[in-house]
Amino acid sequence: MADKFCMVVSEGSFDKAYMPLIMGTTAAAMGSEVHVFYTFFGTKLVTKKANPKLPGMWRIGTGMFKKRMAKVGIPGHDEFMKQAMDMGVNFYACSTTMGLMGVTESDLKPGVKILGAAAFLKLAGESKTTLFIG
Amino acid sequence: MCPMPIVQLAKKVKELKSGQVLELLADDVGAKEDVPAWSSRTGHQLVGTEEEGKLLKFYIRIK
Repeated sequence: MADKFCMVVSEGSFDKAYMPLIMGTTAAAMGSEVHVFYTFFGTKLVTKKANPKLPGMWRIGTGMFKKRMAKVGIPGHDEFMKQAMDMGVNFYACSTTMGLMGVTESDLKPGVKILGAAAFLKLAGESKTTLFIG
Repeated sequence: MCPMPIVQLAKKVKELKSGQVLELLADDVGAKEDVPAWSSRTGHQLVGTEEEGKLLKFYIRIK
């Protein structure tokens, strides 16, 4: 059976958006079963309207940063997430924070599942590695 | 750039048959460590590496 690899994402900025996609696709490429759990400000990253910006004062440089990433072959956020899903990466929105963040099931990107903390902790307990990205 | 060489490698491997040798060209310095790590983890054997300036070449035998 494949190793499990879990991540918790609690922030919604540009860097926190890409980190789990880079790590997640790499882990999937290395044969792991990947589970990414989005909570608090991370929850908006799995909505259709997701448009992450660089944090703090770097925010205004987001456009330039995106261009640089495109130049080195890293896909845009939405496209990257689709590629990750095609590779079998599982994305979950935290059911509790969805309410807090005003996110409904129909706001989620296609393929994103809803999960509670207990179910995620079960997955994390079975995994060799769990990273917290926040 | 990281992680694209590994991600594209994993996709390509699925299209190939056992015993075939795949040539991977990468201009990402991270690939130097990433490709051997991927190889030992997945069991697809790294049979050779070459460096031509900034370009890295890897030869991988599909298991």
